[in-house]
Amino acid sequence: MDGIIEIITQFAADEPAVFALIIGIIGAAVISGVVNVGAMLVIWGERKVLSDFCNRYGPNRVGGRWGILQLGADAIKLFTKEDIIPGDADKAVYVWAPIVASMATMLVAVAIPFGALHINGKDYPLVVANMDISALYVEAALSLMAIAVFMAGYSSNNKYSILGAFRGIARMIAYEVPMGVCVISVAVMAHSLNLVEIVESQTVWYVFAQPLGFVIFVIALITDLGRIPFDQSEAEEEIISGYNTEYSGIRWGLLYFQEYNNALLGSILLSLLFLGGWHGPIIPIPILDIISPLIWLFMKVVIVLWFFIWVRSSLFRLRIDQVTNFGWKWMLPLSLLNLGWAVLIGSYFA
Amino acid sequence: MTIASEVLSSIQSAFPGAVLDSRVESDRRLWATIDSNKILDVCKHLSSKHNFDHYSGSAGVDWIARKEMEVVEIMASHGAHQVVAMLKIKTPRENPSVKSLTGLYWNANWYEREIWEMFGINFEGHPELYPLLLSDELMGAWPWRKDYKGYPDLTTGERAVEITTPDGYTQYRIPPTPAEVEAGTVVLERPKYPSFREREELEIKSDSEMIMHLGPQHAMVPGPFLLDILVEGERVKKAFLDVGYIHKGIEKIMENRTWLQGITYTDRMCYVASLSNNECYCGAVEKILGLEVPQRAQYIRVILEELSRIQSHLIGTGEFLTLVAGVGYAPWQYMIMDREKIISLIESVTGARLTHTFVRFGGVRNDLPEGFAEQCKKVLPYMKSRTEEFIELFAQDPIYSLRMENIGSIPAETAKRMGCAGRVLRAAGVAYDMRKEDPILVYPELDFKVVTGTRGDSADRIDVTLREILESIHIIEQCLDRIPSGPIKTEAKIPKKVPAGEAYYRVEDPRGEMGMYVISDGGDKPYRVKVRGPFYATFQTLTPLLEGVYIADAVAIAGSMDGCPSEADR
Repeated sequence: MDGIIEIITQFAADEPAVFALIIGIIGAAVISGVVNVGAMLVIWGERKVLSDFCNRYGPNRVGGRWGILQLGADAIKLFTKEDIIPGDADKAVYVWAPIVASMATMLVAVAIPFGALHINGKDYPLVVANMDISALYVEAALSLMAIAVFMAGYSSNNKYSILGAFRGIARMIAYEVPMGVCVISVAVMAHSLNLVEIVESQTVWYVFAQPLGFVIFVIALITDLGRIPFDQSEAEEEIISGYNTEYSGIRWGLLYFQEYNNALLGSILLSLLFLGGWHGPIIPIPILDIISPLIWLFMKVVIVLWFFIWVRSSLFRLRIDQVTNFGWKWMLPLSLLNLGWAVLIGSYFA
Repeated sequence: MTIASEVLSSIQSAFPGAVLDSRVESDRRLWATIDSNKILDVCKHLSSKHNFDHYSGSAGVDWIARKEMEVVEIMASHGAHQVVAMLKIKTPRENPSVKSLTGLYWNANWYEREIWEMFGINFEGHPELYPLLLSDELMGAWPWRKDYKGYPDLTTGERAVEITTPDGYTQYRIPPTPAEVEAGTVVLERPKYPSFREREELEIKSDSEMIMHLGPQHAMVPGPFLLDILVEGERVKKAFLDVGYIHKGIEKIMENRTWLQGITYTDRMCYVASLSNNECYCGAVEKILGLEVPQRAQYIRVILEELSRIQSHLIGTGEFLTLVAGVGYAPWQYMIMDREKIISLIESVTGARLTHTFVRFGGVRNDLPEGFAEQCKKVLPYMKSRTEEFIELFAQDPIYSLRMENIGSIPAETAKRMGCAGRVLRAAGVAYDMRKEDPILVYPELDFKVVTGTRGDSADRIDVTLREILESIHIIEQCLDRIPSGPIKTEAKIPKKVPAGEAYYRVEDPRGEMGMYVISDGGDKPYRVKVRGPFYATFQTLTPLLEGVYIADAVAIAGSMDGCPSEADR
């Protein structure tokens, strides 16, 4: 093990450009695999867990008792369905909207550490682009999804869709600011905008250091992901799935998929920023001790996702004016308050 | 308390000669034929002096043999007394025309429009006499008249002609013959309900406004009806409602079926309330026949109708919650699971889950199965604890109160004036329940409360519904304790031909006051059946309620009425 790491480190030092290229290509393949497969599992998990909450079975036919192949069947269906573009749609924008949505997710995924390997008492983070400002970058890239939503809603030439797009934008503007302030509060405490360093600095999880910031971030994250009680841009019962009303087949599939990609990435981000990332006791069993940070992060992410589903099955959808009111009048001042707290406490942590 | 004979003498003394014919059936029913010129004055007199503030509906009857048409106005009071006055106005069959009551009663609008389009009786002074249930092409055919031969004309075999309209739609019409045009018996200029494009041109004033569909195909609607909303941003400025998408003509079909066969059609009016619909029809026929229902059968009917009310309330509430919370909302699934238990109970008696056809003239179809009481006693306490849990859950949920409280509030006075029924009326604080107002079966012997709300908003409607479930459980428990043994059908022989007569019978449907006006001319089929549905009554109030609310609230208001367009359209 030591030898391999030494060779790799040597190579990285000798040929930095080639090394970066190789890491980039491998990383791109790995993250698109991890994120998309992960999202599939999230969709499957949501259906199963939501069914449990609702006292029903959920998918239980395709792929045995647990319906594990249901998503494969769904994907085949979506790929083979007719692709309909409305006659009066703005075709170029309509076609590009799902692609932009995919790109937005992948841009987020590039900078997010998916865990770490624990080798010889040292954590090696698994991240494709370990930027110095990755927290800020991720926050910015997450909001790109709103542009895709607006493109989809605007180009569909549909009344429900345009309302959904408006709602999406109104909501995003109201909640991106408190979310950003929360990220900055964390960065203030960690003295870094690098997600890896933020995780490493969490000797005390930030959920305990700034509970208010955690609550605000969770609410803003649910809003960003467009989940109940903040799914006004979709709102099936009012505006018929909102911005993606006109989409069908794989284009719809892409848009739908991005929501779950984002849910996965969002919950990883939440775990990294507030729940200590991959921190956790190292399991003293060979091989398992190497991936034990991965296991811890995975468990945290699963709990966060489970919490999102729990919220979905128990809360009502807010009205769009209530959402924006709450965002501007409560979330923003409270997040600023939290920033002040972080500055005060931050000196202690430093 | 005012009784029918007092009302009659009051009219007679106030307007000598206005009452052409009268019959006091009981303390609660007054039948009077009123001079068509005096009807407005009589109604004014009744509403001002005798608290007849509830316009319960009106029915058209075509007396082809007597060459006259009749409009029957059904008047009642919201709790001041229990008299139902059935005021008949006669008009000749040639160019029938009567005075409109829309000036006095806001909710007369739809009832008169329906009579106009079905019978061709003109209502003088009606503000918007255009088709309600029928499509524009059928206007002028007057399909519920007794000499209507079907569409297309079955006697001549003439098919309707396909016509392409200027805006590209296809219409089917039987073109009038020159002789008919000359005689003036066909309507050439039809008042037309504006099409979507016409309405857009008419109503949209600025670029920021648009008209959006919330139906007939929409996740919000419980059945097909058209609800267009004119929105500016997120605000609804105006709403347009059009019904008739599932108009089945059940009232007319029942005229062509035997008395017994008619029961199956009442099931189909609203399949979640089929037992009360059965009861309403059978009760009216029993009244004409003068049948006495055996005690045991009465108890069985009450038990089943209350069970049916519970399941209807559960699905009505649950479906509504999904409109506000999304389909993933867990309590909705719990309500459906609980409802399944109630349905199983009903199924064990009637053999059907939804369309029971269980009530018979003078009794019920079959007795309760063995072990029914034990089964009930197992399910009912469970239902009770579950319902109490739901009430508590909604009382504690802050987002629920944000979305429901003060949304679509109807004050008591407005609710009365607009003729709302059922939960909408009671949530506004008006304790108006047919089980108390017009007691039937063994209801007078049972102990139960009429549940009312205070604010009349969506939250109150849900609360009233859930607390009504508790009352229903209480009623069933009493019935199970008291039910006597004995016959389940009357001993008397039920004739194939029902003697000539008429009756108006009211029951408390899960959605409110349901009445059926049944006329027999001594034949083996009803001469006329008029259904006064509760949701039809409430439905009218939807449009004014939606003005000025948010789109999300429009859904929360429309859903909270526990709609059943199938029953409204019949």
